[in-house]
Amino acid sequence: MPPEIVESKDFLAMQKRLQLLTKTLTSSAQVALTPKETVWTLNKAKLYRYVPQVPKQQRHPVPLLLVFALMNRPYILDLRPGASFVEYMVKQGYDVYLLDWGSPGPEDKHLKFDDYTLEYIPRAVRKMKALSGCEEFSLLGWCIGAILTTIYASLRPDDGLRNLILLTAPLDFSRKEQLTFARWVDEKYFDIDKVLATFGNMPAEMIEYGAKALKPVENYICNYLRLWDNLDNPQVVESWHAMHTWVTDNVPIAGAAFRQLIVDLYRNNRLMKGELLIRGERVDLANIHANLLSVIAESDHITPCCQTESAVAKMSSADKEIYRVPGGHIGIMAGSGACKRTWPHLDEWLAKRSQYSQTNFAPPERKVG
Amino acid sequence: MAEEQGGKKLDPTEQLRSMRDAYMEAWAKTMGEYVNSEQYAQQSGATLDAMLAVSVPFRAAIEKAMVNALQQMAMPTRPDFISIAERLTNVEMRLDDLDVKIDRIAQAVTKIPTQAPTSAGQKAPSGSVKRASAKKSAEKKSAKKKGAR
Repeated sequence: MPPEIVESKDFLAMQKRLQLLTKTLTSSAQVALTPKETVWTLNKAKLYRYVPQVPKQQRHPVPLLLVFALMNRPYILDLRPGASFVEYMVKQGYDVYLLDWGSPGPEDKHLKFDDYTLEYIPRAVRKMKALSGCEEFSLLGWCIGAILTTIYASLRPDDGLRNLILLTAPLDFSRKEQLTFARWVDEKYFDIDKVLATFGNMPAEMIEYGAKALKPVENYICNYLRLWDNLDNPQVVESWHAMHTWVTDNVPIAGAAFRQLIVDLYRNNRLMKGELLIRGERVDLANIHANLLSVIAESDHITPCCQTESAVAKMSSADKEIYRVPGGHIGIMAGSGACKRTWPHLDEWLAKRSQYSQTNFAPPERKVG
Repeated sequence: MAEEQGGKKLDPTEQLRSMRDAYMEAWAKTMGEYVNSEQYAQQSGATLDAMLAVSVPFRAAIEKAMVNALQQMAMPTRPDFISIAERLTNVEMRLDDLDVKIDRIAQAVTKIPTQAPTSAGQKAPSGSVKRASAKKSAEKKSAKKKGAR
């Protein structure tokens, strides 16, 4: 009887499934494949320029700089061919740059938002302007990257920023009852001094646990059941594999920046109150005049809608739009529906505002989302 | 495994799957409410404190022993590497600034006009002065030759 069992169809199919499951769980997917070159580096940060794929005449003259969060790898914006925002924008004729913060080491524990917004971003912008030959540029910030780009846009409004795109931007921390993170990092329960004195930087493992613990059953069980159920579907497996690679590839946050995030923003909401000081300069959201597009994920459990709307209202941009997309914090840009909803809208909005002829911040046509 | 009934295949695993999904959904909702509670925040904070209370003395002792051992062997320690890395970052920033300054100088140099200015009040470059004086002396020589004839 045993030989018959071994040769049975069901057994072989099960064996194949288990092999695929093991491979998917224990290997890294091929990610970030859009051709690029490193054009600038500083400490751990790198600035990538993506190789243009359309003739020069068809390209938009205003370059686009992408800034992602500090605790995850930015290749979520260039996940895999066919599911890459970067690839999509390059094909639409944009001169795309991506700022990769890298992984901070023990020597970087003193890095603050001050350094990221007034040293790293301006230098990367300077390099991008030199390479593109255009004095104006567009800036896209996602998650904590949106906090950094907002601070930069407020403190350096005359740097040539024409278009500002904020994706799921956590800017207002006043409604603590809606913010699970705010509850966890409350000073009653979370001793930030002790954590940073022990580790220097906020360890990547703790950040990953925190992000997953917001939805423990979905992240620790349902996610793997979904893979098991779809092992016969190569497209789902490929997509799952790439996303799993990204989700488990976290980096620490520099200690001082993490302290600012928790103390200044989560606990004291200083950005919205106009009390946030960056190298002695007060960050005033009213200083932002660039064309503004804020994208909100309707099912975002990390950055609820309330964290963005009130902050956008404080910005002075004459051309302002809030665009709501069904989906979660990451799904709106890297999910299966992103290429049908979010990306085309970003392209449409940006294309109108990325031409040579436009010399002021007035919009070609005003839309209210 | 599947049975044919009314032209539709019955798959018992499908029923089990829908039961499982319903259970997961209910569990996810309960857990979502739990992690969003004060109780969870308090418990997780207490767990973290306990973990740090246990691990910090060990980490400190290991670090101290390691620094002592490396110093005894005349080897650089972790703080030494950190200090060098910080200095390197500062050097990188200065280089970045220099890079920009050099670019600006290079741009300014390429903008300097290479042709001789045509307006009367402007001083001609030395090359054109030399060419003009050579022309004058050639004219004088030819005039002398004509006079001699």
